[in-house]
Amino acid sequence: MDATSHRSHDKTLWYLLTATRGGPNRARIVRALAERPRNANRLADELGVGYKTVRHHLDTLQEHGVVEAGGDDYGKLYFVTDRVEREWDTFERIAEEIDG
Amino acid sequence: METTIMLASALSGVNLLLLGAVTAVWVRNYRTFGTPLIAGLIAFGAVLLVENAVAIYFFFSMESLYSGDPHVQQAVLVMRALQAVALGVLAYVTVR
Repeated sequence: MDATSHRSHDKTLWYLLTATRGGPNRARIVRALAERPRNANRLADELGVGYKTVRHHLDTLQEHGVVEAGGDDYGKLYFVTDRVEREWDTFERIAEEIDG
Repeated sequence: METTIMLASALSGVNLLLLGAVTAVWVRNYRTFGTPLIAGLIAFGAVLLVENAVAIYFFFSMESLYSGDPHVQQAVLVMRALQAVALGVLAYVTVR
């Protein structure tokens, strides 16, 4: 990936996590998954967000290459992608602002 | 009021609703994140809100400006419609 596409993905990540209605919850999901991989059920419990909402956010984050899934279909575990790890500074600045 | 200008007013009303929805999301998120990106989006939303309110004011109070020329009315309607499409797309990606 060249520097330009890296920067544009950076902007997409900012928009997705800070400027959309579900942004703050998506940021909390990414932060939880960076700590350690979890499945959707677990995330819903820990973040106090409905299962369907978590599923929707995970699908959106997956579409944008922010998280990826592993394991079998039912208890699928979600991980943050290498891409996000490379942009960790950006993400940390976003995550610092949200609590819980 | 001419039908074309009435439709244009209605579209400006739609634009106001869409802008209200996305700007409300940005204001809420600004309280959480407080970043320049969202401040810029709020400024963008605020200016377009004013622009649409002014447009509606013009359509109602200065009808004579438009009444003589159907081409002007059509142009006005097309531009209102294009803005409604643009804001519809932006609102969709912002609330989903």
